[in-house]
Amino acid sequence: MIYGDKHTGVIVQGATGKQGAFHIALMNEYARQVGGKGVVAGVTPGKAGQEIHGVPVYNSIRDALKDYDASAQVIFVPAAAAGDSIMEAASAGISLVVAITEHIPVHDTMRAIEFAKLHDCAVVGPNCPGLLSPGEIKLGIMPVHLSARGHIGVISRSGTLTYEIVDQLTRAGLGQSTIVGIGGDPVIGQTFSDVLARFEDDPQTKAAVIIGEVGGGLEEEGARSTDLPLVAYIAGISAPPEKRMGHAGAIIEGGEGDARSKIARLKAIGVPVASRPSEVPRLIRELV
Amino acid sequence: MKLLEHEAKSQFSKYGIPVPGGVVIRSQEELSEKMNELPEQFVLKAQVEVGGRGKAGGILMAGRSDGVAIAGELFKKEIKGVPVKEILAEERLEIQQEFYLSIAVDRSSKQALILFADAGGVEIEALAKERPDAVRKASLPLLIRDVPAFMLRDLMGKAPKEVGKIINQLYRVFCEKDAILAEINPLVTTPSGVFAADAKLIIDDNALARQGITQNRDLTEREREAERHGFSYVELSGDIGVIGNGAGLTMATLDLIEYYDGRAANFLDVGGGADQERVMHAVRLVAGDPSVKVIVVNLLGGITRCDEVARGVIAAGITQQVIVRLAGTNEAEGKQILAGSGYRMLDSMEQAVKAAVEAVR
Repeated sequence: MIYGDKHTGVIVQGATGKQGAFHIALMNEYARQVGGKGVVAGVTPGKAGQEIHGVPVYNSIRDALKDYDASAQVIFVPAAAAGDSIMEAASAGISLVVAITEHIPVHDTMRAIEFAKLHDCAVVGPNCPGLLSPGEIKLGIMPVHLSARGHIGVISRSGTLTYEIVDQLTRAGLGQSTIVGIGGDPVIGQTFSDVLARFEDDPQTKAAVIIGEVGGGLEEEGARSTDLPLVAYIAGISAPPEKRMGHAGAIIEGGEGDARSKIARLKAIGVPVASRPSEVPRLIRELV
Repeated sequence: MKLLEHEAKSQFSKYGIPVPGGVVIRSQEELSEKMNELPEQFVLKAQVEVGGRGKAGGILMAGRSDGVAIAGELFKKEIKGVPVKEILAEERLEIQQEFYLSIAVDRSSKQALILFADAGGVEIEALAKERPDAVRKASLPLLIRDVPAFMLRDLMGKAPKEVGKIINQLYRVFCEKDAILAEINPLVTTPSGVFAADAKLIIDDNALARQGITQNRDLTEREREAERHGFSYVELSGDIGVIGNGAGLTMATLDLIEYYDGRAANFLDVGGGADQERVMHAVRLVAGDPSVKVIVVNLLGGITRCDEVARGVIAAGITQQVIVRLAGTNEAEGKQILAGSGYRMLDSMEQAVKAAVEAVR
């Protein structure tokens, strides 16, 4: 596993909102199943003293850290305040922030990520489903029933498409080490390269699947950066230029980042690219 | 959202970036009324957000005597399919030198990327290939308030001193206006100083509200309606309607349609927590496009309730065939509900897409 394990204490920011409360319950249900520490505290400014599914709520991360040990944080706060939450976490000494929130203005994201870097804090997301190390820890909103513990690392800019491919891997008997949703925004914290570097150092991970989409060139950058056996799938071969395909980052701009040229570049560096999600397990089997 | 040239210029001007004098007109009459604000010779520029506007006939030279007639012709034109509703009538510049300047969000460095080139009015990508020495770049973390002087020196090369101030002011515009791109192409020198001859400003869609912009003009009417429901929707040109949850899965569904030689009519991502009401609105919205002959619904999720989705599909009460692939909570119940009303429910996205492509053949 990478980023965290059973012993990782988790704080949820935006704990009292509908999403935050719902997913605290699911994350802690999983923690109970696997014998993990789970969410130890929630934070919502002005709501100290409340309890959400048995988890105490604090006004600030610093307050929560006086009573509990935690190194990871999951953010569900609304877009306008999410950049602030990332910086609060980094400044309080949290080493991993998972930002689920969608629609954060990109300038806020850039500033928050820059600030987090000054505090050696890694940011996963924003606009992501979080991560899941089967049998160890769930940070975010990924469904757990489709996954199985194993040796394949999965990195994706998408949510449900990840579940689709994870489901197919599991059905083919290929369990996963860690599944990381890095987010659908144009600017994200942890990129394919960052996650692949961690997978390389992870003895559990034998190969990785990168699930990309139109926009930018982070998939190719990641593939070039690693020696790990890789399989890729790129969504958006039918996406028209200059149209945002759901994700803020899924847009072909100025003739850059279209699926065909991405696929060609990946193939040129020797990465097999699945033409449909259902081909991924077969391509992985050919590698390991 | 893309701002029009005159809107971008008015923003740039507020930050002290010199722009040519001009007036915006919406009709020939308005030009006659404002003629005395213009010099003897001027230029008429169609205010449309398309690249290569000049070559497409969107920029015409005019003078006080023939200006109204030429404006009339320009108003009748479509520039690359976009009708001309506004024209910027602007003084002609006596251009000595041209440069390129842009500041953009850079995905790779996660910083502002400043590009400066010794040639203007060009496609920057093409220039970078032909004359790599002419293009200089610098990336700047947004925590820095002003462009450092060394960076300005590196960027500018032999450009006149005023350019340094303009780069810094454009960076201010970029930061304060939540821009994803601020561009001056060309930036020109004239006997009376340096001017932004053209201007481009694209505002982050996620920051429109705090920038005081209430409506995103880049969207079509149906796309706007979709936005009101919280859907992401893109119109395409085929006959198979697509509804999915999550951008990646929906895109992959479109790709699979193409893989099986079908053509998608749209991209619709219902987003998270698809309940009965949302699914009903989504199905109706897609079915409302007259070119849609069949609809594929591809929903997968941990928390999506299949019974809710099934009821939503039925409640939409549309005439087109709907083929459903559902995986999630209460899957069996959802299947039962749909089967009871004569809908087809298939187990994988491959099967569902194949069935839809066959249905339109």
